[in-house]
Amino acid sequence: MQKKLFYLFNFLMLAGFVAALAVDYHKDWRKYQAEYYRRTAGVLEAKAMQSSDPAEAAKLKAQARKMRSMPIQIRQIIAKDLGRVDRCITCHVGMDEFVNPTLTTAFKDQPFAGHPDLSGIVKNHSFQKFGCTVCHAGQGLAVSVEAAHGKTENWEKPLLREPLLQASCAKCHGNFETLHGAEIAAKGKHIFETHGCLGCHSIHGKGGVISVDLGNIADKPLERIALYNLSLIKGPDGKPLPRRDWKLPAWIEAHLTNVPMDFVPNDPYAKYNKEPIAPSGMPDFTQELTRDDADAVTAYLLSLTEEEQIPSRYYVPGPPQKEPRFANAVEHGKFVFNRYGCAGCHGLGGTKGRRNYNALGPGQGDMSLDMDKGREPTLVDTLGTYTRDELRAKIQNGVPSSQIQKFNPDGPTPPLYMPTWKEKIKGQELEDLVTYLMSIAKKQEEF
Amino acid sequence: MTDPISPSSQPPSKPAAPSPAKPSGEPISRRDFLWLGWSALVAFLGTGAAATARFFFPNVIYEPSQKFNAGPAKSFGLGVDLRWLNEQRVWIIRTDKGFYALWARCTHLGCTPNWFGDQGRFRCPCHGSNYTVEGDVIAGPAPRPLWRPAIELTSTGDLMIDKAVLQDLPGLREKEPFFLTYNG
Amino acid sequence: MAETTQAPPPGGPKLPDFASIKKAVVDSQVWRSMFRGGVWKDTPRDRAAHVIGNVWLHLHPVRVRKRALEWTYSWGLGGISFLLFLILTVTGVLLMFYYRPTVDLAYRDMKDLEFAVTLGKLMRNMHRWSAQAMVVFVILHMVRVFLTGAYKKPREFNWGVGVLLLTLTLFLSFTGYLLPWDQLAMWAVTVGTNMAGATPFLGNEGPFGTMMGMRINNDVRFTLLGGTMVGENTLVRFYVLHCVAVPLLVGVLLIVHFWRVRKDSFSAAPRDPGEEKAEVWPHLITREYIAAAGCMVAILLWSVLMNAPLEVMANPNVTPNPSKAPWYFVGLQELLVYFDPWIAGVMLPNLIIVGLMAIPYLDINPKGVGQYAWGERKFANVLFLLGVAMWFILIYIGYYCRGPNFAWYWPWESWLTQKAAPPFTWNLFGPDPQWRMLVGHDPQWKVLVDPPVANVSVLPIWLGLPVIGGGFALAMALPKLVQKEIKSGLAHVLFFGAMALLVVLLHFAVKVPFSQGLWLPFFGYLAFYFGFLLPQRHIRSLEWTRYLITMFFVVSMMGVLVKMGARLGFNIKYLLTLPAVSLNI
Repeated sequence: MQKKLFYLFNFLMLAGFVAALAVDYHKDWRKYQAEYYRRTAGVLEAKAMQSSDPAEAAKLKAQARKMRSMPIQIRQIIAKDLGRVDRCITCHVGMDEFVNPTLTTAFKDQPFAGHPDLSGIVKNHSFQKFGCTVCHAGQGLAVSVEAAHGKTENWEKPLLREPLLQASCAKCHGNFETLHGAEIAAKGKHIFETHGCLGCHSIHGKGGVISVDLGNIADKPLERIALYNLSLIKGPDGKPLPRRDWKLPAWIEAHLTNVPMDFVPNDPYAKYNKEPIAPSGMPDFTQELTRDDADAVTAYLLSLTEEEQIPSRYYVPGPPQKEPRFANAVEHGKFVFNRYGCAGCHGLGGTKGRRNYNALGPGQGDMSLDMDKGREPTLVDTLGTYTRDELRAKIQNGVPSSQIQKFNPDGPTPPLYMPTWKEKIKGQELEDLVTYLMSIAKKQEEF
Repeated sequence: MTDPISPSSQPPSKPAAPSPAKPSGEPISRRDFLWLGWSALVAFLGTGAAATARFFFPNVIYEPSQKFNAGPAKSFGLGVDLRWLNEQRVWIIRTDKGFYALWARCTHLGCTPNWFGDQGRFRCPCHGSNYTVEGDVIAGPAPRPLWRPAIELTSTGDLMIDKAVLQDLPGLREKEPFFLTYNG
Repeated sequence: MAETTQAPPPGGPKLPDFASIKKAVVDSQVWRSMFRGGVWKDTPRDRAAHVIGNVWLHLHPVRVRKRALEWTYSWGLGGISFLLFLILTVTGVLLMFYYRPTVDLAYRDMKDLEFAVTLGKLMRNMHRWSAQAMVVFVILHMVRVFLTGAYKKPREFNWGVGVLLLTLTLFLSFTGYLLPWDQLAMWAVTVGTNMAGATPFLGNEGPFGTMMGMRINNDVRFTLLGGTMVGENTLVRFYVLHCVAVPLLVGVLLIVHFWRVRKDSFSAAPRDPGEEKAEVWPHLITREYIAAAGCMVAILLWSVLMNAPLEVMANPNVTPNPSKAPWYFVGLQELLVYFDPWIAGVMLPNLIIVGLMAIPYLDINPKGVGQYAWGERKFANVLFLLGVAMWFILIYIGYYCRGPNFAWYWPWESWLTQKAAPPFTWNLFGPDPQWRMLVGHDPQWKVLVDPPVANVSVLPIWLGLPVIGGGFALAMALPKLVQKEIKSGLAHVLFFGAMALLVVLLHFAVKVPFSQGLWLPFFGYLAFYFGFLLPQRHIRSLEWTRYLITMFFVVSMMGVLVKMGARLGFNIKYLLTLPAVSLNI
């Protein structure tokens, strides 16, 4: 018996170690790198065969030979100033400027393709100086496909897909609204500033105080997002998001592609708490923003980071924004209306008040069920009942949360209220805002 | 007189004068000398051990200071003051007994709650945790009360807040250095 | 010896003559300068010479008792533990070539080991899995030694050395846990070292700590961390402790441990007349090799198939929820639900260590040495195994039944499920007592069923000190004070009768539901059986010194069970609270 065990264990030890060596050796990247060299050599050899000039053919053949004898090793770009080491070119050999100086290849499939936009982005962003991940995100130190693309657990900055890629531009480019190549992010910023987001959210202190400051939202660690809420998000196909996609870009995007009240339901019926807690007060933007709009806003928000310390010599201040000009007070008032995000609660152009859970609103009957039909006032309907002075005072004083009438008195406190704008909207801005509001009021019947 | 310790080889180097330490004129006995020798070794090892223990307490640490000067105490009225919320993430609360500060970080997942003066409570916009003005949780998923940083009065009458020293236990948080008694 | 010659194949080359080559090599001067003895013959003399003449083998005796060779005696647990230590040392040294213990580079080096270093992933996996296995096997080895009574006189000292080795193994695992510098590492070590801050007198958050002038930057936790929080100094200190200081200490203690095994002879069972010994070479050596090879195969295969985890990089501003200590400490973390940190994190672990070391001096039962004896050492076996079971049950609960906010989640429940906030807790004896709250008539005064406010005490401190202190002393003395053995049947009837009465009384007098009242007989019976009946039956005859020390440890164990029952069943947080000196029991 002992002899049998002796042979068995010795054999298993050897087998186990050989298995370990095999697992260690047969990595994906070796396969891809070898295939790149093989394919490139093949292309060169084909060109050599077709060439009529024997000198050129010999040169091409020599290049092909060199390709075939390239060592298979981990290749990396060390962007020292950024503190990044990127090993993407281990598989994406076509983007290694020392192996492939033209940075173009004859292949369309990844990872053998070359890098697009050579005359634009690549010309201005030397790979040795920037690396790859500062723009594309992902896990630079990894060399397996899933890990390098950041699609694994425990890596919070996955590879940014196409529209979101522009989020990285703002790390170095100030005033990127007019930057060529950052159009999607610029569009996202514009949407953010005209659909009322600033009414509840501030950015670096500028904006509303009702919800969180988004000035460094791109740095939000996954640990600070309740997994229970992530589990309620639906992807573009309507099915729950798979676990491996529970990352920050999906979380931000969900606020615009899902109904926030559905995936942050909190506890309106006091099942888990001594008091009821209203669901998220963020309105439903799925009807007024398309998928592309949502992508654009997500790209803009993902650009708001404070964590990464880019050295100042990388910074490119963009052209300063032009001071806007207004034809008349109403135009200026409309600008002020957008600037302070009034549309966030009162709807685009004040045309339809947004949902305010358990506030008294139209269409409510069942005390326990219709709390979600509560609404903010629809300005175009209500403004007609105010005089200028009353309106000015209302804007300046706001409506505190305790004064908002609850539809169900046992239900939760409505999450939205009107802040005091005394400190922020003053003087001419206030006057022109009132003028604009008076102009959009529906004509009331005479008393 | 011959030295009893080394009898043979060395001639006495001194005449037989009494040594000052021993009035009777006798040299130290062998037993006592050995005890002295061993005691010296023990003392050496003992002080060595004590010095090693002291060695392990670092004299400098590289933890940046989280103190800030919040301004003259006189400039604060009763109630919750928001002036340092954005820059330092603290609320400064003055009661008729004195001052305390609250770190504006929800103990659930770290969002910044908002102060609702009309309702007398802090409410977190992320998942609805509610806190009293003392920092106790009255609703929502937060597991612990709000933390209080240390607060003291400088010699120039300013408030000095130290966010590196925090306390959240009721009982301890109402005592110094987390509560500053202040009249006028 | 016959020379093996083969008929050379016709026309082919002549095969070399292996036997004579071997003889030439072994008789050469080079060989003989290194290995004495020439060509080995299979005689008793040469078999003895194998053992005596080899520096690595000569710790063994030449002959060993046959019963010591049985697999089912020792299961090779001690040897496997030692092999795991060797694997850890070798893989650890190899890992040191590619790891730098600084905050900037530690995590990056972990990633490099995983992706860029040849066999780096295997080395790391082997190191981590061997570490987990070593903790398990060291505990199993201790249990085996206990059950075979191999710690009794004259082996008490070696058992003590073994307990120290167990503590150092846990400490090695703990210091190594920090080195990957990911979230799991940082926060597990934060939880663990915060317990050091609760040390009485020496910790700034422990009882009497502030009285002694302890602050966050000069107490015992400060010296362990090298700062006020887990940071760059902690990383370096733990690296030095993990790679140099503690392994050296363990090495020294291992030398003592093996020496004592050799000197006290392995297996102390009574001798059979005419018993013969077996030769170590080959019988013991082959068994050791097979155990070692089996262990190596298991570690190797496990390391190839399962990857050690690496979470996101350590971030002092983000605390994972829940934050748990490493699994071997998570039982103590579970105890934190029932006790303050100075008890759960300091007193109890120290009591466990001291208690374990005291066992050989308390257990003077001459039976059951060198063999498994269930009937002849009932008390010792049952209480020791109870302690081991409690340790592992607490680990199980802390690991699988505690989710976010350390709320109770059944092992099959997803941690994504929302849970209600836990009910308020109350204290039995404390300042400002509100005794009316014990009586459950007025809806607001029913602290036993649904405490209306947090942290209220119901009975005064002047009553609590004698009740708790006196109760503890009485529980210690009672089994010996009752001179005659109480019959088991009668005891059980009396006990359960009393419990039934109490449960009914609680229900009708103060409206405690029966489902809640059942906690009382459950934990009460455990304390009654292990803390009174068993000692009453078995150690009544022990002399007072040993008896009292043994009962001190037994009653302390029962105290843990009673406190758990009080908390789980009735939401009692402290039996006695003295906030003025931060002393809470």
